Amino acid sequence: MRILVVEDTRDVGEAIVASLERMGHAVDWQATGRGAEDALAVQEYGLVVLDIMLPDIDGFQVLNTIRTRRIAAPVLVLTARSQVDDRVGALDRGADDYLVKPFDFREFEARARALLRRGQGANVSRLEVGDVTLDQVARSVTAAGAPVDLTRREIALLEVLMSHPRRVFSKAELHEQLFSFDSEAGPNAIELYVARLRRKLQGAQAEIRTLRGQGYQISAADGAGA
Amino acid sequence: MAPVRDRRPSLQWRLIGSLSIALTLGSAALGFAAYNYAQTAADDSYDRLLIGAARQISETVSADAGQLSVDVPLSALETLSISRSDRVYYRVDGPDGAAVTGYNDLPLPAAASGESEAPIVGDAVFKGAAIRVASVKRYVSESGINGWVVTTVGQTREARNALSRDLTGKAIILVAAMSVIALIGILLAVRRALRPLHEVEAALIGRDPNNLTPLDVDAPAEIAELVDVINRFMQRLSDRFDVMQRYIADSAHQLRTPLTALAAQVELLANEDRPAAQKGYIARVRERTAELGRLTNQLLSHAMVSHRAQALPADQVDLAAIARQAVADAVPVSLGRDIAVRQEIGAEPVLVQGDAVSLREAIRNVVENAVHHGAQEGLWVRVTREAGGALIEVHDDGPGIPEADWPRAAERFYRGDTQAVGSGLGLSIAADVAKSHDAEMSFERPAGGGFTVRFRFPTQAVRA
Repeated sequence: MRILVVEDTRDVGEAIVASLERMGHAVDWQATGRGAEDALAVQEYGLVVLDIMLPDIDGFQVLNTIRTRRIAAPVLVLTARSQVDDRVGALDRGADDYLVKPFDFREFEARARALLRRGQGANVSRLEVGDVTLDQVARSVTAAGAPVDLTRREIALLEVLMSHPRRVFSKAELHEQLFSFDSEAGPNAIELYVARLRRKLQGAQAEIRTLRGQGYQISAADGAGA
Repeated sequence: MAPVRDRRPSLQWRLIGSLSIALTLGSAALGFAAYNYAQTAADDSYDRLLIGAARQISETVSADAGQLSVDVPLSALETLSISRSDRVYYRVDGPDGAAVTGYNDLPLPAAASGESEAPIVGDAVFKGAAIRVASVKRYVSESGINGWVVTTVGQTREARNALSRDLTGKAIILVAAMSVIALIGILLAVRRALRPLHEVEAALIGRDPNNLTPLDVDAPAEIAELVDVINRFMQRLSDRFDVMQRYIADSAHQLRTPLTALAAQVELLANEDRPAAQKGYIARVRERTAELGRLTNQLLSHAMVSHRAQALPADQVDLAAIARQAVADAVPVSLGRDIAVRQEIGAEPVLVQGDAVSLREAIRNVVENAVHHGAQEGLWVRVTREAGGALIEVHDDGPGIPEADWPRAAERFYRGDTQAVGSGLGLSIAADVAKSHDAEMSFERPAGGGFTVRFRFPTQAVRA
């Protein structure tokens, strides 16, 4: 997927671009707000990573342009401002997520991945399969209305599966979605997490099936699908 | 810096203005009194001449064979002709009221027909001019005439007006001179009275901005109070300044520690060729960098929270929404350790009076503490409304803070004697926010294990 990075600090921009390229995405890097607006005018993006402190125009203004032009790409805002109001402001002004500088690049990758998963223009923050509901913003899961205690990674795995019910995800695909490249997690990690998820979702009307040699899929247990 | 001049009149001009008005009014009253007095004085002296002249004429009235005759002496009229422009009139009336001689249409002063011998003086108008008239009576009893002979002398007012003008003018000059002297005196007195204020001003302007010691100005009682207030304000400023300086020094020290560690790890990394060992150092560098980032954010957050506590009016805010946001902020998606985070936060708002930003910083820091230093496998955040109040609880399944450290746990940069990394600022921020919201922050080790930080918001802070 094509990603636009708007960041004027070279060191940070380079690292962001490198990290996104490692995830397999094509990246356009702009160092100014006007450059970003020009790029947005001619190219469609799956994600925009937007720094707020830009040399020419305010990042919020770019955000505004994105929303008024009805560009569907999710926006991950980076802010260095100390005022916490800015963070609230970012979400209020149509950002999908934000990170406060300095941030950990693993966290950046995880957030970017989550936004890409949520999909272009989907703008849905709630996934449902059977009686299982996953709130992507609050990062919480309920089964038949009762909260289920899932770890962060269990939620991420469930999120991937629930984003396309009945679709079969290969182990490698899931591994790539869940762990960063330098992670110590071995190839069996996915099996382990799937087993835990199944145990915690026992009794719920959603089932994670193993398709031998192909991977995993989730579907509503009563067969009605989602 | 030049003192700010605004358009309000200065104290000096205000005083001078009101005193000038008082002086002007006083001078006008005095002038009027002087005019009246001068007129009375002029009338008194000229009336005496007028009466004298009338008497002189009256003395010359004689009777001869039932006929009255008057021999007007020249000297009698001469005394009245001091002013060249004044005109003098006279008339003499016999006992039967018949005119003997002179202007028989000269008006008589009121009550001139009484039976007394005392002279009567009055004002009248004759030939179109204001005049003063005086009548004297003499009883004539000779040669067949028996009765009162009335002699009336009138005189125009030029001379007496000139005298009264002269007297009034001199009096007014005196009053004006007195007023000017008073004004100058007041001016000097005001200057003198305000001098201590200028001294205070000069002392403040001339002083080094870092000098917050008390002002030493010898001032009278009224201004000593002002100086005292300024000094007390300066003391508070100085205290605050000291706190800030200590905070900056502490912060710099706190930043130096992870920076030194970071530099050390980078140094090790630079000199290491084995990939496996390099990986280990990189992990440490990462850890230290993350720590440094967190610390910087906390330092900012702390400064902001303490500023907001003083500067911002409280709003009505929803603790449930704030807690949800704080949890989203505090728990990274990419955490190395995989933990479960449960939010027991209802959908309905829990409203309290407070500042949303600082409350969120407080909760965020406590949750961050739980994530980074507490939770082994999980943590939960609960927001509940209890009888009249509200509770926020943050629980993790880690070992928590040892009981012995509880009293000091909220102190800035206090970390207990554990080797745990962390700034020791998170709980201090939370405690400051709790304090400014009249909330109580407490710790607990529940029977089921783990560690809970609890904020209890008092009844009056909670809105139904």
